[in-house]
Amino acid sequence: MNMRRIINICLAVFFLTACEKKLDLSPTQSISQENALLTEGDVKVTLIGAYDGLQSVTLYGGDIQVVNELLGNTDNILFTGTFAGLADIHALEITTQNTFARDTWIQAYNTINRVNNVLSALDKVTSSPEERDRIEGEALFIRSALYFELVKLFAKTWGDGDNNANPGVPLILTPTAGISESDYVSRNSVAQVYAKVIEDLTRAESLLPTSNTIYASKGAAAAMLSRIALMQGDYAAARDAANRVIASGEYSLEGNFENLWYLYMNNGGANPAEYIFSMTVTQQDGANSMNTYFGISIGVAGTGGRGDCKILGAHLNKYEEDDVRGEFFAQVGANFYTQKHLDIFGNVPVVRLAEMYLTRAEANLRLGTSVGDSPLDDVNLIRDRAGLDPLPAVTLQNILNERFLELAFEGQALSDAKRTRSNWSGNAWNSELLILPIPQREIDVNSNLVQNEAYD
Amino acid sequence: MAARKKMAGWLWSLVLLFAATTVQAQDRQITGKITDRSNGSPMVGATVTVKGTTISTATEVDGTFRLSVPANAKTLVISSVGFQTTEVPVTENVSVSLVTGNDALSEVVVVGYGSQIQRELTGNIARVKSKDIENLPLPSVDQALQGKAAGVYVNSQSGKLGQAVTVRVRGNSSISASSQPLYVLDGVPITSDDQSSYGGAMNPLIDLNPNDIESMEVLKDAAAGAIYGSRAANGVVLITTKRGKTGKTSISANFQTGVAEATRRVPFLSAQEYAQMFFQAAGYRDNEGGIDPNDPDSWTSYARSFLDYYSFGQWSETSTANYDWQDKAFQKGNYNQADIQMNGGNDKTKFFASLQYMDQIGTIVGNNLKRLAGRLTVDHAATNWLNVGFTSSLSRTTTRRLPGDNAFSNPVQASALPNITPFTDPETGLLTGTPPGDEFRTLYFNPFISIEYARYVQQSYRNFSNAYAQAKILPGLNFRSEFGLDLLAQQEEGYWGKENNRNTSAPNGVGEYRSAFVFNYNTNNYFTYNKEIGKSNVEAVLGMQFQKSRANYSYVEGRDFPSNAYQKIASAATKSDGSSSQTEFSFLSYFARVNYKYDDKYLLSLSLRRDASSRFGRNSRNGYFPAASVGWILSEENFLSKSDVLSFLKLRASYGIVGNAEIGNFPQLGLYIGDAGYAGAAGQRPSQIANPNLKWETTKQFDIGLDFGFFNNRISGELDYYVKNTSGLLLNVNVPATSGFTSQVQNVGKLENKGIEIVLNTQNLVGAFKWSTSLNMARNRGKVVDLNGQVIEGGVGSMNRVMEGQPVGVFYTVEYAGVDPQNGDALFYRNTNNNGQLDKSTVNAAGYNSAQRVVTGDPNPDWVFGFTNNFSYKGFDLSVFFNGVTGNQINIYGMGRYSSANFRFEDNQTRDQLAAWTTPGQITDIPQARLYRNNGAQISSRYIVDGDFIRLRNLTLGYNLPTSVVNRLKLSKLRVYVSGQNLWTITNYPYWDPEVNADDFDSNIAKGNDFYTAPQPRTILFGINVGL
Repeated sequence: MNMRRIINICLAVFFLTACEKKLDLSPTQSISQENALLTEGDVKVTLIGAYDGLQSVTLYGGDIQVVNELLGNTDNILFTGTFAGLADIHALEITTQNTFARDTWIQAYNTINRVNNVLSALDKVTSSPEERDRIEGEALFIRSALYFELVKLFAKTWGDGDNNANPGVPLILTPTAGISESDYVSRNSVAQVYAKVIEDLTRAESLLPTSNTIYASKGAAAAMLSRIALMQGDYAAARDAANRVIASGEYSLEGNFENLWYLYMNNGGANPAEYIFSMTVTQQDGANSMNTYFGISIGVAGTGGRGDCKILGAHLNKYEEDDVRGEFFAQVGANFYTQKHLDIFGNVPVVRLAEMYLTRAEANLRLGTSVGDSPLDDVNLIRDRAGLDPLPAVTLQNILNERFLELAFEGQALSDAKRTRSNWSGNAWNSELLILPIPQREIDVNSNLVQNEAYD
Repeated sequence: MAARKKMAGWLWSLVLLFAATTVQAQDRQITGKITDRSNGSPMVGATVTVKGTTISTATEVDGTFRLSVPANAKTLVISSVGFQTTEVPVTENVSVSLVTGNDALSEVVVVGYGSQIQRELTGNIARVKSKDIENLPLPSVDQALQGKAAGVYVNSQSGKLGQAVTVRVRGNSSISASSQPLYVLDGVPITSDDQSSYGGAMNPLIDLNPNDIESMEVLKDAAAGAIYGSRAANGVVLITTKRGKTGKTSISANFQTGVAEATRRVPFLSAQEYAQMFFQAAGYRDNEGGIDPNDPDSWTSYARSFLDYYSFGQWSETSTANYDWQDKAFQKGNYNQADIQMNGGNDKTKFFASLQYMDQIGTIVGNNLKRLAGRLTVDHAATNWLNVGFTSSLSRTTTRRLPGDNAFSNPVQASALPNITPFTDPETGLLTGTPPGDEFRTLYFNPFISIEYARYVQQSYRNFSNAYAQAKILPGLNFRSEFGLDLLAQQEEGYWGKENNRNTSAPNGVGEYRSAFVFNYNTNNYFTYNKEIGKSNVEAVLGMQFQKSRANYSYVEGRDFPSNAYQKIASAATKSDGSSSQTEFSFLSYFARVNYKYDDKYLLSLSLRRDASSRFGRNSRNGYFPAASVGWILSEENFLSKSDVLSFLKLRASYGIVGNAEIGNFPQLGLYIGDAGYAGAAGQRPSQIANPNLKWETTKQFDIGLDFGFFNNRISGELDYYVKNTSGLLLNVNVPATSGFTSQVQNVGKLENKGIEIVLNTQNLVGAFKWSTSLNMARNRGKVVDLNGQVIEGGVGSMNRVMEGQPVGVFYTVEYAGVDPQNGDALFYRNTNNNGQLDKSTVNAAGYNSAQRVVTGDPNPDWVFGFTNNFSYKGFDLSVFFNGVTGNQINIYGMGRYSSANFRFEDNQTRDQLAAWTTPGQITDIPQARLYRNNGAQISSRYIVDGDFIRLRNLTLGYNLPTSVVNRLKLSKLRVYVSGQNLWTITNYPYWDPEVNADDFDSNIAKGNDFYTAPQPRTILFGINVGL
């Protein structure tokens, strides 16, 4: 037998059975970063990705509002949930490992990176200048809204000491392609963060269209600007921004307060005309974490939630008799829950027109002006909708009280207490405990970050 | 397509190979008889092999055999379990009597791409044989390694059936990549990572019938493992299935049935104790706030209304009702298993066939597992130079799963419900909390609603197939080609009725269907060469391996079902979610090994593997993994061979490089992912940072060992010392989150494992009454040497930490300092660094943030041991097997923060909380109960406890009926036995089971966490084994 032949065949079998090409495998659900931002279509889907980030439960999906509501809020809420991070936030026993502080921080910057990718590729948008403006405006809106929320949660209040010296949060304005020394950033000052946010939102307002379906519009940018100005005590700017939203005619007050809620159950998920900006939740996408913690099943199909946030009698007693908002609580067992967040798939409101009226009223009153309308008319508009008799005259306290009740459990009360220098459930407005810690994982990985005083 | 072409290519080549060869050898027939030297009785089933070939047969009942051997055959090897293997020259009529003895040294051990005689091994391989695997009430074979192989640490994690177990060979040598060993079944690296989507990780090895297994070899050191290159750093487990034997066809059947219950319970407060302590905690708050307890707004009034609400008004100071919610989580399980095995054959063709049905009902309500498995193996000598064979198995495994430990629907979490709440809602007669009754009448979601009105069933179909052809090319030179596949098809179906609304937020029910399909194929092609030249013997292997695995997943979710009578997605009014995805990987490898033996004394082995994989960056795709080892059989030297005491002594040493590539697929690429849609519009987002330099982890391992036997090997054993240095760790390196990313996979950092292993086997009594003992123990010390400043945390409360100078995953917490006897405050040591001295002054809860964290425990055991005693007398046999671990700690904060927390929350409390501080001067470890106040429930060493245990893992008593009786029944064997698993546990652990790893938290670093984790079952089985 011809041994050489056999050996040759064996060797052939042996060495030819595989080739190196079999090692070049590619993922199927992902694409390489080099091919991700080449066309206008790529930029647009990345912008959608930024909205997706903004909608995370850790951001405007609800946690930002939940944390603002729960932070030390023992006058209004009994928190009995088992999420230790929230329990600690409620009891002001926050540790630097707090998972809610950590996750909101991480997701905010993740979303900011998505926005920065969009902004870096605007030159790919060539179909029309309007389209390019819209995309840039929406991207700037998302980034600015996040920086404003971050600086409120993680830094001292505007005006609590020196805004130029107080550490805010790092401003990241370019996309990340790899990790280098420059990614080990420091905190910008509170003043720098506010300045950048105002600059970007102002530009966004000028770029955005008046109507823009569920996406950020001119009105959304103006509404956010009014909040920022109010926070800074710049009442003229707050008043004018709020007035621009109202005067645009794009939004209108819902006649029936209850119709602002249960949007998925009763309204097919569509927003009322009062919503200026919100996060859309569908069965397939998004979640409403306001619902998760504030919601509870009241035996009506479509309602649900963990029932962690029980509303105290002390809060319920703050409403006047016949106030429909005071009746808007559900009793389960011995406990009361706000009805604003019972709808499992309800959209999460970020800002609605009623707030603009109250902002305009407050600013006008403080400035002694009547831009748009008088403070009394604006407040009575809101009271009327709540089924209350009009006030004969209005004081600042009336307006702040109306604002507190109208926007209760929507994540605004803590900011209002801080800017009006009011006591918050027994804590001073500028208590260091009412600020979240910079997440420990971030301090551990980046020594350039300074921790907030209460946690240092 | 390409794969098929390639397959066809080499099959065609083999056909050519057959055609090219002509048969020239002349065979001759020989006969013989094998007897037992101690009593002269014929030996049935002894194996007779022509040395250096696969030509073999087994002896008949009368001890005779007949074998056709090649003309040039010179030596026969005769072996049988329990006897010394003997070599005799080939003659026409062979007569051999075998000597009993500890024959472990002459056993054939499976190694990578071959086999070797134990005596001549230079690497460290632990072997577990079929008798240690068979008929245990364990769904997966890896659990059979527990306590049986030195240096292999197995933790069953939880009592939930079929879930993943932790297996660590010589410590944890990775942080972010997998630390589980590579499982190779009959030459095919099989899919062993979790494919399930619900609850904790499942163990894909449950699809394998343990009774089909002939042996498991654990390749522990680099000398043994380096032939598996970039995948061997965590050890390699070679699983070899049973094959047919020549001789009379043997048929055996085994039936076993038994009962099981959870090993341990935790003492909780009774209804009255709970109420008393609740009032005590509320009273503190009233006292603190200066509130009159009789005030309707007082905390005491709140407590009263709480008790009233959650007991449906039944609770009063005098009521005796007590609803033990913990008890409801457990049930009497049972276990039934039937096996039939058949094997036989002649000189040309041998076969093995088996069938098994196993049905296990778990000890936690709602948990069960069934397996139906069949296997057929055929070996055929096609010509005198060509052997072919085929094995294929098919199994179906059905598991009703339980949710993860962290879920409210985990039945064990019912322990958190106060015993004041009745099981049944008196208003509806349904389980408390079932709508239309009040859903909130249980403090948390009542998990038994999900047992009653929801289910999640996983069903997997698994096919392991393997075909081989082995050709003799020249004397001593063989070529073997293997093609194998592992096909895993799995479906999961879940349905949660509307009654679960509180837990699912799906008021009209929700259902899901998932599928996973993993197609994994592998081919090994290699030459073996064997040559004796004078006193030298050379064995060489040269070959290649290619493996590719592709996994496809799909998923659909539906909501709004007409009623619980409709549970398929077809009936869901809304198809609310769905997806499909795919991932794959491939490895291409070449390997070579040379074993050299001189004068039966001096041993040398060299091996090398080259690996390339799709998982690594373009810049570092190929890696080389060499190993070298030497052995010296001192007992063959003249100066020792005369010794009456010493019968065997071998010194061996090895050094080599192995890798770890288990980091998932595509970690090296910079990626965008298209999962970022919003409100119906499609979106994309950046998802991963690139690392084109990414490659495997590299582990350099040194091993030195001593194998010894005394008194004709009645005392034998092994001693090993090893050092494993792992560098270039595949690490999810934390990066600033401000970059938009949280981590990047990099090759960063070093860790080290050092340890010793001791194996001691003794035959204490060898007469009619036989007693043998087997002890193995191992100590591993892991240390993270360098982490480039990384901080990596995990586990419950992020308390597990990876830090330089410490073992992987130590518990890093504030240190609990007990209770201030004056005021009942929980105290913590400050532990701030004061010029190198730790400040041991204390702070209370208000100062907690100023207390520094320190290492307060280690989930990795110091010593892991197993201890087996076997006794036999006449027909009786008794086996007693203990195993245990020492020196590890467990984190009980998961449940402790709620249930051992002096009323931080309203959960039912463990009874030790009754010792909570009440009066000034009182010395206790439990702080004062202050309703909803965090007085000591912060993360601290209060919740780090010792996890040492010794467990009577298995006790089996069997009786073989005498031959006279058996023969009268026309049987060859009849054995009855009773066997107990986990009968007795010695431990100080306060919760359920010290053998724990909470499934929802489990990772490489998050070990030793308990989170309402189900304890192991105690199982008692009665079995009967019949041979025809």
